[in-house]
Amino acid sequence: MVKFFTDIYTATSTILGGMIITINHLFTAKRGIATLQYPEERWPRPERDIGFDHGSYNVIRSRLHVDMDDCIGCLKCERACPVNCIKIETSKAPERGEDIKDVKHIGITSNDSRKAMVVTRFDIDMTECCYCNLCTYPCPEECIFMTGGPNSKKHPIDYEFSEPDRSDLIYRFAKPGTKEGMEKLLNDDNKVEA
Amino acid sequence: MGLVHGEEMVLNIGPQHPATHGVLRLQVRTDGEVVSQITPYMGYLHRCFEKHCENVTYEQVIPYTDRCDYLSSMSMNFGYVVAMERLMDIKVNERVEHIRVVMAELQRIASHLLCTGVFGLDLGAFTPFLWALRDRERILDLFEFTCGARLLYNYMWVGGLSHDIPVGFVESTFEFLDYFEPKIDELENILAHNKILVERSADIGVMPKDIAISYGVTGPNLRASGVKWDLRKNDSYSIYDRFEFDIPIGEGKKGTVGDCWDRFYVRILEMRESVKIIRQALASMPKDGDVHQSLPKKIRPPKGSVYARTETPRGDLGYYIESDGSPIPYRLKMRSPAFTALSVMDEIAAGWLLSDVLAILGSLDIVLGEIDR
Repeated sequence: MVKFFTDIYTATSTILGGMIITINHLFTAKRGIATLQYPEERWPRPERDIGFDHGSYNVIRSRLHVDMDDCIGCLKCERACPVNCIKIETSKAPERGEDIKDVKHIGITSNDSRKAMVVTRFDIDMTECCYCNLCTYPCPEECIFMTGGPNSKKHPIDYEFSEPDRSDLIYRFAKPGTKEGMEKLLNDDNKVEA
Repeated sequence: MGLVHGEEMVLNIGPQHPATHGVLRLQVRTDGEVVSQITPYMGYLHRCFEKHCENVTYEQVIPYTDRCDYLSSMSMNFGYVVAMERLMDIKVNERVEHIRVVMAELQRIASHLLCTGVFGLDLGAFTPFLWALRDRERILDLFEFTCGARLLYNYMWVGGLSHDIPVGFVESTFEFLDYFEPKIDELENILAHNKILVERSADIGVMPKDIAISYGVTGPNLRASGVKWDLRKNDSYSIYDRFEFDIPIGEGKKGTVGDCWDRFYVRILEMRESVKIIRQALASMPKDGDVHQSLPKKIRPPKGSVYARTETPRGDLGYYIESDGSPIPYRLKMRSPAFTALSVMDEIAAGWLLSDVLAILGSLDIVLGEIDR
């Protein structure tokens, strides 16, 4: 008999206690603190100022981007990728001509290294990418990065890159410079489709 | 009072039942509403983790460990790097150790918040779930601040970290802890002592000590059965032996020791202990130290094998790594804590009502990504 009444007492007191907490929360909670109307408003990104020279760091996980002008075709990012979503093909830089035979490169990167390879294919399949960021660390020229990281002024953060067609998510960064390169690319495309 | 046995019916819960976490199929043999046998069928999330690891290099394994237990990726990374550092005999500096402990404990809070919230949700309490997720979101913000990712971090590396914590991280973590500590009391008051939840969970699905030990159940589930066993204290790794914290165990306050309520309440107590550890670790963290100091240039461990176990939010996580001297693991085996927790399901849940089965499943806190691997 005593248990019956203590049960009723605990039930009402604990439920009322919970109700008081909820009602307090109703009045003290600031409006719009927990949810946002997504397309109109967005969560602020954490500050990028991480206090030290973050040239070699990348603290964002978003769309991968390659500055092809700086790429030397060293294949380090391709080897680092755990899911093999980066595909690179290179060929040796052509000799420039009879008179300047020793120049076997196609330009200088912003880190002053010679580009000895022509990158004929640099494809990143963003449908396969697992956003682990492992490819950005070994890059000697810091030319592959997730957008919004160190180069955020040039490339603002971009995490909304859905496409109606899956093949649009395969980014082809290399510009087919030569005729052979163009043919090779087209042949590869046919293979992929078949 | 004897039950009148009727015709038995086989019922499938899942694979995509909204009340189960992850994708799991429970084949339940019921007699009326009483469950007589439960057979879990898993494998819907199987991704060949162990075989896959034999094809990628040691540093590339870390993103895959993230995806095993996606609710506590930091702890999964931690276990792997502890095993690898033991195999390669690497000693990391003090700053790295402190940051790792802070991250692992923040992750433990985040994981337990989700578990307690979802447990309430399974039993019909919707408000605490939203509040728990709101607080968990702040922890994820801290992680995003640190490494850019919110769920799958790839933050701890063999011999260090992927990068140092940002300026202002320590302050914002302290700020979060000051905000969070009253919220634990709030969560406890609204959920743990609520009569409805107590009636639904106390004395239900009792897991006695001997069954828990013989099935190899670890972590909060084992501690709820009254066994004081925590790898952070009993087989200390990293720098956990320096911090002062208690190991909360189930005491059967509302019913029997080892019931659903105990398993749920131990997690709330553990969040408090984690807050203690984070405060101590942040206070004693050295200001300088390069997180890349002992990063090996090439991870090529010597021939041999290692087994290392760490305490994740779900229990003992063990990594057995067999190396043949190449940069690719010869064999990598993971001992998953949630797998053993699921295996005890039939033992403790048979004989209860169907609605209690969901309470028991929620209290075990399983993550299917880790069970199926």
